[in-house]
Amino acid sequence: MTEEMAAVFVGSTLRLAAPLLLSATGELVSERAGVLNMSVEGMMLTGAFAGAVGSWATGSPGLGLLIGLVAVMPVALLQAWLSITLRANQIVTGIGINILALGATTLAYREIFGGRSRETIPGLEKWAPPFLGDIPVFGDAVFRQAWLLYVAVVVILAAAWVMRYTALGLAIHSAGVAPRALDKAGLSVNAVRYGAVLFCGFTSALAGCFLSIGDIHTFTEGMTSGAGYLAIAAVIFGNWKFGRTAGACLLFGAATALQFQLPAMGIEVPGALLIMLPYLLALLAVGGLVGRQTSPAALTQAYVR
Amino acid sequence: MTTLTVNSPWRTALARPAVWISTAAVLGALAFGLLLIALLGVPVVDAVEAFAEGAWGSPYAVAASLNRSLAFALVGLGFVLAQRANLTNVGGEGQIAIGGIVATAVALYGGVSGLPAGLGFVLPALAAALAGGLWGAIAGVLKAKVGTNEVISTLMLTFIAVWMVYGSVQSEQLLRQPVSNATTLPESLEIPDPTKVPLLTGDFSMPLHWGLPVGIVLAIAVAVVLNHTVLGLRLRAVGLNPVAARRAGMAMVSSVVGALFAAGALGGLAGAFMLQGEQYSLKTGFSSGYGFDGLVVGLLARGSVTGVVAGSLLFGFLRSGGINMEMSANVPTALVVVIQGLIIVTLAGAAHRMDKKETPR
Repeated sequence: MTEEMAAVFVGSTLRLAAPLLLSATGELVSERAGVLNMSVEGMMLTGAFAGAVGSWATGSPGLGLLIGLVAVMPVALLQAWLSITLRANQIVTGIGINILALGATTLAYREIFGGRSRETIPGLEKWAPPFLGDIPVFGDAVFRQAWLLYVAVVVILAAAWVMRYTALGLAIHSAGVAPRALDKAGLSVNAVRYGAVLFCGFTSALAGCFLSIGDIHTFTEGMTSGAGYLAIAAVIFGNWKFGRTAGACLLFGAATALQFQLPAMGIEVPGALLIMLPYLLALLAVGGLVGRQTSPAALTQAYVR
Repeated sequence: MTTLTVNSPWRTALARPAVWISTAAVLGALAFGLLLIALLGVPVVDAVEAFAEGAWGSPYAVAASLNRSLAFALVGLGFVLAQRANLTNVGGEGQIAIGGIVATAVALYGGVSGLPAGLGFVLPALAAALAGGLWGAIAGVLKAKVGTNEVISTLMLTFIAVWMVYGSVQSEQLLRQPVSNATTLPESLEIPDPTKVPLLTGDFSMPLHWGLPVGIVLAIAVAVVLNHTVLGLRLRAVGLNPVAARRAGMAMVSSVVGALFAAGALGGLAGAFMLQGEQYSLKTGFSSGYGFDGLVVGLLARGSVTGVVAGSLLFGFLRSGGINMEMSANVPTALVVVIQGLIIVTLAGAAHRMDKKETPR
């Protein structure tokens, strides 16, 4: 592998991992609070769509991002209301919302863009941090990314810090491990869980926008194609811990990047094998073959006072 | 209501909130669909006509809808069966995919096409069911031995299986047809005639195949097993209170593994019927989301086999009608997806309410 190829590989790994990192961060917080939020996929898709439409209609990708964020909030609220207030099965509601989001975005896309599907959508600008961006060969290929990627890094670090060092983090952890204790301590389990699901909606919206206006500057029907489920897999593979989850996202990103890289290097590896690798790794992880997995005790269980 | 007699089945049905809430949710979602069509600027009458035409307008349409329903129903039955043991099998899509791969492999390269007495199509279907069962049993073994949440493992197994279909039709060493030129599609050869599931009428204008009666028999069998056998009781006991069930001497491991094996086998069989009864060759995206539709049917049935049958018919006809609406009335199929999503979300939200109102009886 030449230096240039290595640089391109690292750069595309980061680019492909970024949406996973974002949505997995939200999913991790949500699962830590006890809500297995299966609707990340639908939230990402909604974010991707609304971000693209917003950017196209206003001509400003920044406004598009904002519109994407706002559009996902009702979806996150619906997930929270169904699974927390109405105590509906979290998996059913998640899958239902994913189907709803897929149908709604496809329908709206056809209505809005119709024949103009080749329309270019203004995308987020690329940015490279000073100094890092000036490194020869690597600077440009690795660090020149849509600026949202750097926002993602900040969001992830902030979330990890809050979860680890603050009272809020402790409350979120207890909502997923010992909700009754949290309740007895005078805090509302449901309020904490609502917050966690909304945060997951926030990061998933960012992830979706990264896909549409950050990466490829267009929207295609069902463009998330399982990325949300991959984020859930990353959280599981990451054993519900930030560091390992982020590692899993990078690993999954690298596996996807390899798909494009290996043929360029003349190495024939079945593409299907690389695509299924993340899921296989996640399965091995939950199967106890890669260390012990300990999910939050109250995961998927609605809280009844 | 006054016209109904006291013992009318309608009255008993209406007295159960689950029935009328479900009906209301479906009707509400359909009404919303009509509203959307009007908002899209398509004449509602045209759209409805196109829908009816595609769903039940011709013998061909009816058969296509029923074949779809059959796949949903088999996956849904498996879901309900595993649910009795408190297991959530979300792996239907993957089990269909595995069934499709194995049915194709056995039909094409298993040397079965010369066999007498219908073994040519029975063996690939049985092999597919076995493979789907084993695929499901992986999740069962993980659950029983390591305590792995079966929702997660079956979901991961689904993605792996779906990509296995992709992989196996990409490679000539696996199932891809021999590549003769650049236009050779990445799909398998068509399976030989003797390995196709025979049509009930023998006529392609109504392509209903023998899978349908098999599905009906299986539905009855699942209902009987669940409600009238020791096995059904054991599953329920294991699901409701694993500790008590173990104390009572019930075999936990075999119940959990067995339930997920059975669910997987039904999914694998659904895949076999889709391949050997309709598609005849394996392509990328073979499972077409039917496993997820079947999962939803199973979820919404709330443990009842009758519910599975009703739900799979509803979704089967809905999908067929939706496809035709896109083709002849210019209404995107996505509309049906929206309707389906609404039904799921509404019923999921109302599930708790239905439980609460039913228990005091």
